[in-house]
Amino acid sequence: MKKILGIIAAMGMLLSVSAQAGDFAEQSIVLQISDPNPFKQTLVLNVANNIIKHYGQDKVNLEIVAFGPGLRLLFAENANQDRIAALSSTGVKFSACKNTINAMAKKLGHPPALNPNAVPVSAGVVRIVDLMNKGYKLVKP
Amino acid sequence: MINKTIFKKTLAAAAIVAGLSAIQVAEAANWLMLQGTERPGTAGRAKVWGFIQAQYQADDSEPFTHPTDGDLYIPPKLIGPNLTSQQQFNVNRARLGLRGTGMPLDSSVNYFLLAEFGNNGITANDNDAVVSDASITVNTDAVRIRTGLFKTPGPEEALQAIHVFDYVNFTSVTNQLMLERFPQLGDVNTARADLALDTNKGSISAYSRPVGAFRDTGVQFFQSYKMGGWDHSYAVMLGNGNGMNFGDTNNSKDLYLYWASEKSFGGKGPRMQGLKIFAWSQSGKRYDAYDITTTDEQDRTRSGFGVKYLKMPFRVTFETMSGNGMIFQGQHRPQDAINDLEASGNYLDFGYYIPNSKWEVDLRVDTYTRGENHGTSAAGDESTFDTNTVAAQYHINKKSRLTMSYDMRTFASDTAAVNTQLKGVANRLALQLTHIF
Repeated sequence: MKKILGIIAAMGMLLSVSAQAGDFAEQSIVLQISDPNPFKQTLVLNVANNIIKHYGQDKVNLEIVAFGPGLRLLFAENANQDRIAALSSTGVKFSACKNTINAMAKKLGHPPALNPNAVPVSAGVVRIVDLMNKGYKLVKP
Repeated sequence: MINKTIFKKTLAAAAIVAGLSAIQVAEAANWLMLQGTERPGTAGRAKVWGFIQAQYQADDSEPFTHPTDGDLYIPPKLIGPNLTSQQQFNVNRARLGLRGTGMPLDSSVNYFLLAEFGNNGITANDNDAVVSDASITVNTDAVRIRTGLFKTPGPEEALQAIHVFDYVNFTSVTNQLMLERFPQLGDVNTARADLALDTNKGSISAYSRPVGAFRDTGVQFFQSYKMGGWDHSYAVMLGNGNGMNFGDTNNSKDLYLYWASEKSFGGKGPRMQGLKIFAWSQSGKRYDAYDITTTDEQDRTRSGFGVKYLKMPFRVTFETMSGNGMIFQGQHRPQDAINDLEASGNYLDFGYYIPNSKWEVDLRVDTYTRGENHGTSAAGDESTFDTNTVAAQYHINKKSRLTMSYDMRTFASDTAAVNTQLKGVANRLALQLTHIF
C-alpha cells in the first residue's frame, strides 16, 4: 500500500512539474546573466535564440534571469530591446532581480526603467533555484 | 565673438532640433552615432581598442631638373609625411583608445579617447604621441551634446572611420581642400641639404603645426531619428577652427552644419549597408599668421554633398566639395595659404566585393581644381589634380586586411613655373596592412 501511495505521489510530482513546464515542452532551461561584460548580453540572447530554433518554441520552456550587473540587459533603454521583444513573442520569459533593482536605485537616485517584457522577481538567484527545483536546467553562457 | 550670421544659423538649426525632438530616436549606424555615442545599456566602463596601419609607398615621379641646382622635388613627388624619399616603409597610424561610459548604470553620458602614435601629418613635426580625440557626450531624448576634440561634421571621406577607409591615400580634394594646414609666423620652406635627394622644395618642416585631421575642439549638438524607414541625422557644431591645436588663435568660431538621411539594407557598425545622402557646410575665419599687426581675418568656407550606396557586393560613392579662402598651395608654401582663392573637386568611387572570396576591387576617379579665381585674387595659380586609382583589398579576417592601391596622377597648372613642377608628377604605389583590435 505504501509503495502504491509512493508511486502515486511521485507521479503527482512529475505531473506537477510537467504542467508548470508546459504541456508539450520537452526541455525547461533557465539562462543566467549576471556579468557586466556587454558581450555576454549578446551571447545570452544568441543562446536563447539557438535554443528556440533547435527545440521549437512550443517544445521548450525558457527563462532568462538577470541579476547583478547583468540586469542592464533588461533596462528599458538597452540597445537589444528589439531582440528581447522578438524572443518574448516566442514565449521566452525575462526575470529581473528586485534586490538588484533596489541596489541600483540607490546608486542612480531612482529605480532603473525596465523593459516592459521584464517581470521583477524577489531575488534572481532564488528564482533560479526555484526553477531548478521544478526541473529546469541552468545554463550560464 | 560669434557673428550674427552664425548666430542666426544656429538659431535656425535649434528650431529644427526643437521640431524634431518629439520624433522617435533612431539607432542609426552613422558616423555621428558610431563615434559620439555608445549602445545604451550595454557599453562598459572602458573598452580598449585601436588599430595599426603599416605601409610601403613608392612614387614614380620625375624630378624637375634645374639648370644650376640639379634635380628638385616638390611634395607630391615624395612620400609623406616626411617628404624625404620616393620609397618608404612607414607606420602611418598606430592608435590606441578607450571608450565607454564612466557609470555603466547610466547611459546618459559617454566618452571617447584616442591617441596617435604613428608617423603622419599629426605627429611628424615632433614625433610625439598626440591625443587625437577626447570627447564627452551627454545624451538626452531631444538632443545629444558632444564636447571636446573630435571629428567635425563634413564630407564622408573625412568623417568616416579611417580604419575602414577603402584606399591608402586621400583624394586630392579631401587632402587639399579639407585636410587643413595651419601656418604660423616663421613657417617657410626650408632647404634640406642633409638629404640625398635635394628636396628643398618639399620639406614638411615648412608647417610647424600638425594637420587638422578633420578635427576641431568645440561643442556639437546632434541626433538621429527614424522616420519612414530612413534614419535622419543632423549635427550643428561650433568649434575653435584650429584643428588638432588645443586653444584658439582668434575670437571667431567655426560653424559646422551636417545632415544625412540613410536607408539601411542591413548589417551594423562602420560596414552597415545602405543608401546615404548627405550635405554639409563649414564656415569660419583665420587670422593672418604672417601679419600680426592686422586685425583682418580671412574667411574660410567649405561645403559639399554626396551619396553613398553599399549593398553587397557593390559600393558606389560620389562626393562633390567646394571652398573659398585658405586654399592650400602645397606643403612647401605655407606663406601662400592665407588667400581668398576658390577651389572645388569631386570623386566617384566603385567597389566590388568578389562573392565567395576575401577579395575586394576598387576604382576611384577624383579631380580637384584650385585657384579658379586667381586672376582676380592676389595670389595663386589655377592648377588641376586628376587621379585615377585602382585598388584591391584582401580581407584576411574581419579585423585585418591588406590594401594595395595604384594612383595614376595627372597634375597641371596654367602658371608655367608651377606647371613645370607638376607635370612630372606620375604614378604612386601603396601597400598597407591594417589590423584593428
